[in-house]
Amino acid sequence: MRSKKAYRSKLRILVDMLRAIQNAEGEGVGPTKILYGANLSYDRLMQYIDELLEKGLISVKKNKDGSQVYILTDKGREFLREFIKVERFSRAFGIEV
Amino acid sequence: MKLYCERSSTKRVDRMQDIPISLIRLDLLFESVAGLISLLVSRRASIAYRITHEYRLSDLSTGFLVLSASMFCRVIGTLYFFVILNNGGSERVILIVSIMYSAIKTMAYLLFLVATRPYLMHRASAPAIALVALPILLDPVFDIISTFILVIITLQTLLNLASSRSEYSLYVFLGFLSLLISHLSQLFATMPLRGYFITQVFQLIGVMLFLLMVYRAGRV
Repeated sequence: MRSKKAYRSKLRILVDMLRAIQNAEGEGVGPTKILYGANLSYDRLMQYIDELLEKGLISVKKNKDGSQVYILTDKGREFLREFIKVERFSRAFGIEV
Repeated sequence: MKLYCERSSTKRVDRMQDIPISLIRLDLLFESVAGLISLLVSRRASIAYRITHEYRLSDLSTGFLVLSASMFCRVIGTLYFFVILNNGGSERVILIVSIMYSAIKTMAYLLFLVATRPYLMHRASAPAIALVALPILLDPVFDIISTFILVIITLQTLLNLASSRSEYSLYVFLGFLSLLISHLSQLFATMPLRGYFITQVFQLIGVMLFLLMVYRAGRV
C-alpha cells in the first residue's frame, strides 16, 4: 500500500553520488562513473559535485595522467553511515527520505 | 454525554484509590522508564529531521516528546498525591491529573497518526481524517479516542511492515500493538488491579520495542 515518492529528493541524489564514489573503494572515481552511478544529467552532476566539495564530503585527487578523480573524505563516510541509520529509522515508521 | 463522562471519570478515580501504594511505586518506575525511552526516540527522530528536513520526522519527534511529557506529568502527579502525601489527594485533583494525562497522550497519538500515514493518503485524506472524528462524535472520552487512533496507527504500521518486510518495521508495529493492548486492557479489565498492571507492563514493552528498533537501526 505504501508508495514511494515520485521524485528523488536532493538529499537522496547527494547520497547516491556519495555511494557511487564509495563503491570505488578508495581509488577515486571520475565524473562519468558518478554520472551513471547516480543517474544524473551532466549539469546537475557538476552542480552537486561543487556542493559536496563545499561541504567537505568529498575531495579531489589528481592522477599521474592528469585526470581528476573524487574520493570520499572521513566526513563523507561518516555522513553516509549516519544516513543509513536515518533511513532505517524513517522507513521503520513508513517515512520516505 | 456529560453523565457518561462523569461516570467514567469517577470510575477512574475509584480505580486509582483501590490500588496499593507498592504497586503505584512500581508503576511510577515503569512510567518513568517509558518516559525516558520516549525522550530518546524523540531525539533520534529530531536528528533524522535535521538531516533530511522531512516534516513527518518532525511530527514523529514531537509526538514522542509529547508522549514523554504525559508520562512524566503522571509520574509527578501520582508521586505527589499517592506517595508523598499518602492520602490520595482530592477527587477533583486526581480527575484533573487523569484527564490531562489522557488528553496529552491522545495528542501524541494524533501526531503519530499524521507522521505514519501512508503516502497514498494524500488523495484519500478527507474520508480518512473524518474517520478519526468518529469516536469524538460518538464518545468523547479520551481513552476511547486514544484506542481508536492507536488501532489506525497499528494498521498503518502493519501495512508498512507488509510492504517493507524489514525487522525495523516489525519492531515499530509490535511497539504500537503493545500500546494498543495496554489501552484495551485498561478499558476492558474486569479487575482494576490486574488491568492497571497489564496496562503499565504493555506500555513499557511498547516503548522498549521502539528503543530496540533505534538501537538495531543504529548499528552500522
